[in-house]
Amino acid sequence: MNLALGRAGVTLGLAAAVLGVITVGYGLVRKRPDLVRLSRWYAALVFFGGFIAAFAMERALITRDFTVKYVADNGSTKTPALYNFATMWGALQGSIILWALILGGYLVAVVLKFRKRLADPLVGWALFTMLIVCAFFFGLMVGPANPFKGFSPPVGFDGPGPNPLLQNNPLMAIHPPMLYLGYVGFTVPFAFAIAALITGRVGEGWLLATRRWTLIAWGFLTVGIILGSWWSYEVLGWGGYWAWDPVENASFLPWLTGTAYLHSVLVQERRGMLRVWNISLLCATFALTILGTWITRSGVLESVHAFTTSSIGIALIGFFALIVFSTVGLIGWRGDRLRSPGRIDSPLSREGAFLANNVLFAAFAFVILLGTLFPLAVEALNNDRVSVGVPYFNRMTMPIGLTLLFLMAIAPVLPWRKASAELLRHRLIWPAWIGIGSMIFAVIVGARGFIPVLAFGLGGFAAGSAGRQIALATRRQGWRGFVGRANGGMVVHLGVIIIAMAFAASTSYVRQAEFTLTPGQSAKFAGHTLVYEGQNVKQESAKIVDQVLIRIDGTGPWAPSLNKFANGNQTIGTPSVRSTFTDDVALSVIDIKDGDNGSVTIRVTVQPLIIWLWIGGGVMAFGTLLAVFPGRRRNPLDAVSAPVSVEPPKEPTGVTP
Amino acid sequence: MSSLLAKGSPLRRWGPWIAVFVVTVAVLSIATFGARSAPTAQDRVTTISRSVKCPVCSGESVAESNAPASQEIRRQIAEQVQQGQTDEEIRSFYAAKYGQAILLTPSASGVNALVWILPIVAFAIGIAALVIVFRRWSSMPAERATDEDRKLVDSALRAEADDSDLDDDPHGEGASR
Repeated sequence: MNLALGRAGVTLGLAAAVLGVITVGYGLVRKRPDLVRLSRWYAALVFFGGFIAAFAMERALITRDFTVKYVADNGSTKTPALYNFATMWGALQGSIILWALILGGYLVAVVLKFRKRLADPLVGWALFTMLIVCAFFFGLMVGPANPFKGFSPPVGFDGPGPNPLLQNNPLMAIHPPMLYLGYVGFTVPFAFAIAALITGRVGEGWLLATRRWTLIAWGFLTVGIILGSWWSYEVLGWGGYWAWDPVENASFLPWLTGTAYLHSVLVQERRGMLRVWNISLLCATFALTILGTWITRSGVLESVHAFTTSSIGIALIGFFALIVFSTVGLIGWRGDRLRSPGRIDSPLSREGAFLANNVLFAAFAFVILLGTLFPLAVEALNNDRVSVGVPYFNRMTMPIGLTLLFLMAIAPVLPWRKASAELLRHRLIWPAWIGIGSMIFAVIVGARGFIPVLAFGLGGFAAGSAGRQIALATRRQGWRGFVGRANGGMVVHLGVIIIAMAFAASTSYVRQAEFTLTPGQSAKFAGHTLVYEGQNVKQESAKIVDQVLIRIDGTGPWAPSLNKFANGNQTIGTPSVRSTFTDDVALSVIDIKDGDNGSVTIRVTVQPLIIWLWIGGGVMAFGTLLAVFPGRRRNPLDAVSAPVSVEPPKEPTGVTP
Repeated sequence: MSSLLAKGSPLRRWGPWIAVFVVTVAVLSIATFGARSAPTAQDRVTTISRSVKCPVCSGESVAESNAPASQEIRRQIAEQVQQGQTDEEIRSFYAAKYGQAILLTPSASGVNALVWILPIVAFAIGIAALVIVFRRWSSMPAERATDEDRKLVDSALRAEADDSDLDDDPHGEGASR
């Protein structure tokens, strides 16, 4: 029943997408608006197909219908309800259903938003592009990633359940959907960019039409990445939250190019420049989401998060190649129209800063891409093995990160067109003192080392600058000084700074040690006292939990544990973390000796400011919401910047949303 | 002297920035050269084991992994640190034993040097491109609005004012600017 329903959903989605591509494409080429307008029905059917597939899969999981092979492979009667529900995105085939469902959702949202413009060739070609992407993903579910394969379970069969790591923390239920909402969301601006190239309407119209979509996708991606690192901190138990692992990098790459785009697009909106660059960034972002899926799902690279391997690799890399070749071809074809008349007057200007930002973000993305794929390239060319890991990424990205912080301090106060040293002297002195204050504070509380203290200084400088913009905007506009793109953007900056500071502090001052303790024994480490009290064994439906009870500085007991799952003989540790605003003490069990004295080996990781990573993530998400909220409306005919020849005004005019 | 501190003099204007610079240098020197506790043997074990890959797992360092092989290597590293070997000696010991791929920091020789050099080359190209673009822009004559342009704008503005009751934004493209 579920099998049939699911297959029907996939078939419906695929058929609707393919027919939609043909109909809309034909209508666009033959200039038949009546056919182009049919896209709305195809969109609805694609979404409906995805919905039925997802519904069938959830129903199969919940009723433990083991005639569906996916459920037999990944489900179990013992899995708790929440993790059972989340099993849909716990393995490859099911995660493609989620992808297709979200893509269908975005498709319908675009149709609804542009319902009055469906016959407009720009919207038509955008929907055409989206339908092609839909056809590809539904095609995957028919071919290499079929979630509805049959299985005939023997009597009394029970599946192994999802990977134990995936049923250890409730974040599993929200992190993948958030990430996918981000990944898939970039399809919308990408489709409009392609449509702009095809129709030749490469002006700013498509940008304005999609900028909020881009921001929303970016916000989801940000939240998804941060939740993912939180998950890895709470589950993997090695004391860290970011390992520059291929899967983490795969999600970070589109974030970097997407962030670059969000900034450089402002130059195009204001000045009509950088058209080729913006389209390239957007297409790169979308292509990187596909490349990221390939990295994650094809099993070419080793990763702790890659929970599946399959033959889907060829399809994904082929689709990636198609995207790259068609966008490069289209940009080449439209080269003449993409040339823009304007020029940037001075490097010391808002647009100059955005260009610098783009060079830095592009360099950042290049380092990550190179480091991630380098082992693969070396092995292919040289048949040699090499590893590129945390030390490489930390060393290479640190100077880029510091420069970005510096830029984050300068750029918000710069006016468009041209700034003078005099102007910067005025506007930046207070942010500079805030930066100095934060350095002095860091040194007083014991921070040492050139790089981390410099990072705290630059962080304070950048925070002062963002705070200055918010203060000026609220003084002028009241509560509206918080909303709109420019003001919300400053709140996002604050979130980024908080995360950067927490990252600098935790990477620079991490302390880690292992202790073997017998009950009643205590250990002192990094200013904390740990007392091992004893063990507590709990029997749960899917696992046996052997908790080690430890008091940290008299609080607790904290209970890191080893979980022995009923199915299979994997033993998975669950760490326990005591968080405070100043530092985190993370405990994980390395070994429990089978003996009568009950001695255990635990790993203790003490890192400062970890909690601020999650707080910073919350601030970024909040700032994105503020930025999505419409700011003060500006009459499109109002001048947005003063002519070059005039002395720049004393107070900023650049904050106009 | 009084002229140096007069209102609007360069010293008066840039004084605060000179102070910022001096304090920054002072604080950063304290942070760099100030007394700090030397890394303990345990800290060194952590640092080294973070740069050695776990031989049996996928993409984790010895410090992260809980596999028996990693536990053994961690114990071994602790011993080597006790014996007074340097970080480099310990790392090359593992590179010799398991091959270069055991180190998470690629070496800077042979093909592997590319992973260090390419980002710098790419960044240099980026900067060079920016410089070239700005050169070209600054040599471009600034466009001046001709009378014809002004007429065009004026007539467009007049049309705008006349049609203000019409939908001036049929595609909704600038509606929320």
